[in-house]
Amino acid sequence: MIHFYNVSKFYENQTAIRNITFSVEKGEMAFITGKSGAGKSTLLKLIYVAEKPDEGKISIAGWETDKLKESSIPFLRRNIGIVFQDFRLLDNKNVFDNVALTLRIRGVDENEVKTRVFDALKMVTLRHKTGSFPKTLSGGEQQMVVIARAIVGEPTILLADEPTGNLDPDTAAGIIRVFKEINAKGITILIATHNRELFRNTGRRVIRLDTGNFVGEEAG
Amino acid sequence: MFLSYSFRLAMQSIWREKWINLLSVLTIAAGLLIITLALFSIYNINLATKKLPEKFSIMLYLKDGLSDQDIGNITAALMKDNAVEKVKYIPKDEAIKELRGVIKDADYILEGLNENPLPASIELKLKQKYFDPSTVKRLASDIKRIKGVDEVEFGEQFLTSIHSIKTGVQTLGILLIAILSAGIIFVCYSTVKILFYRKKEEIETLKLLGATRGFIRAPFVIEGGLLGGAGGFFGMVGALAFYYGLFNRLTLTMPLFKGVVFPFEMFIFLPLVGLFLGITGAIIALGRIRF
Repeated sequence: MIHFYNVSKFYENQTAIRNITFSVEKGEMAFITGKSGAGKSTLLKLIYVAEKPDEGKISIAGWETDKLKESSIPFLRRNIGIVFQDFRLLDNKNVFDNVALTLRIRGVDENEVKTRVFDALKMVTLRHKTGSFPKTLSGGEQQMVVIARAIVGEPTILLADEPTGNLDPDTAAGIIRVFKEINAKGITILIATHNRELFRNTGRRVIRLDTGNFVGEEAG
Repeated sequence: MFLSYSFRLAMQSIWREKWINLLSVLTIAAGLLIITLALFSIYNINLATKKLPEKFSIMLYLKDGLSDQDIGNITAALMKDNAVEKVKYIPKDEAIKELRGVIKDADYILEGLNENPLPASIELKLKQKYFDPSTVKRLASDIKRIKGVDEVEFGEQFLTSIHSIKTGVQTLGILLIAILSAGIIFVCYSTVKILFYRKKEEIETLKLLGATRGFIRAPFVIEGGLLGGAGGFFGMVGALAFYYGLFNRLTLTMPLFKGVVFPFEMFIFLPLVGLFLGITGAIIALGRIRF
C-alpha cells in the first residue's frame, strides 16, 4: 500500500530523510518512531505529497507520486485520512461541520453526509458533541474529532502524526484503541510517534528512524 | 451540491466580514455610477452629433449666366461623390424670395435694387457616415474646381469644434470607463485577496483533506461576483436616483435638457457588469493554487 524506494529528502543542506526503503502492506498497522527531528513528519508529508522527494520513488495506493500531476494530488489525498499533530480543526465550524468537510469536498449528497458523519462520531464516541466548537473541547476530544474527520471519507490509508502528543496516558490509550478498531476494518494505518509506550506490547511493526536514517525494525 | 455549499460559504463569509465587504460594495457602486454618467454623456453627445448632418449643409454659389445644361452637369458631378446624400438647386428668384422672408422687418435693404444681387446656389447634404471635417474639407476643395462654381461655403469652424468635442468626450469617456473598470477589478481583487489571506490556514487544511482547486476557489469567486453584482445594483439605484431626483427635474425647468435621453436599457445591465468585474477581480486575486 505504501512503498518507499531509496527515498531522500533534503532541506537546504540538511538531510531530513536519507535513502529510505520500506513498505507498509495493505491492512497493516505500523509505527514510525524516533526522536524529534528523526524525519517522522517528513516521511508522512512525503506520503500525502505535501513534500516531494529529492531522490527515490514513492508509490501510494498504486499512485506513483513522481508521475503525479499537481491537479491529481487532491484525488490521491482522498485515499488518505490524516490525523495532524496540531489538529487543524476549523475554529469557526462545529464538530459536525468539521467532520462533514471531508465529505463535502468530495461532493457527497447532504443526506449521506449526515449519516456518515454520525457514524464516524459514534466510532470516536463524540455524537453528543456534534454542535460544539473545537475551542470548547478538551485536547483528547479534539483529537477524536480529527480522527472522525480522517475516517469519514473511508480512506484506504490512515496517517497519524504524534496523535497523542499532549494527551494523558488514558486518553492516549483510548486513541490507540480507536486506531485498532479502524485497522480491523481493513484500513492501513501508519502512526508516527516518539512515545514508546504507545506501541509497547501492541505486537505491531515499528520502523525506527534516527536523523533521517532508517535504523531498523522491531515488533512493538 | 458543490455549488450550493460554496454559495453558502460565500454568504457566510460576506456576513462575517460585513464591514470590509460593505466598503467594497459602496466603492464599486460609486465607480459604476461614474461609469454610468460617462456613458450617459457619450450617448447623448453621439445622439446630438448624429442629428447634425440633417441640419448641416454645404452651399455652392454659382456663377451668373449658367445654362440649364451647365447646372445639370454640376448637379451630376456632385451626385457622383459617395459622401453626398442629396443636392437641391436654388435659383436666383427663390434665393431672393427666401431672403425677403428672412428679413421681413428690414425689407428696406432690398429696396431700390434694379437686379437680383443673389447668385443661384446648390445646397448639398451629406450622408451620416461621411460627416467629419476631413471629408467636408476634401469635398469643398473638389467642388471649387467644378466649372461654374463661384464660391463654396460651410461652417468650417463650427464643424471642427463639434467634431473635436465629440472625439474628446468619447476618448475621455472611454479612458474613464477603462480606468474605473480597472479600479473596480482592483477593489474586488484586494477584497478577495484579504479574505483569502485571512483563511490561509483553513485553505491549507482543505487542500490536505483533498479539496480541488475548484472547490477552494468557488466561494471566493462567488463572493467576488456577489460584491460586484451588489455594487452594480447600487450603482444602478444611484443612476436612477440621479435621473429622477435631479435630471428629470432639470428638464422641467430648463428646456436645454429636453432633448437629452437617459438610456435605461443600457443601465439595467449594471449589476451584470459589476458581476463580471467582480468575478474577474476574484479570479486574478486567487491566481494559481499550488498543492
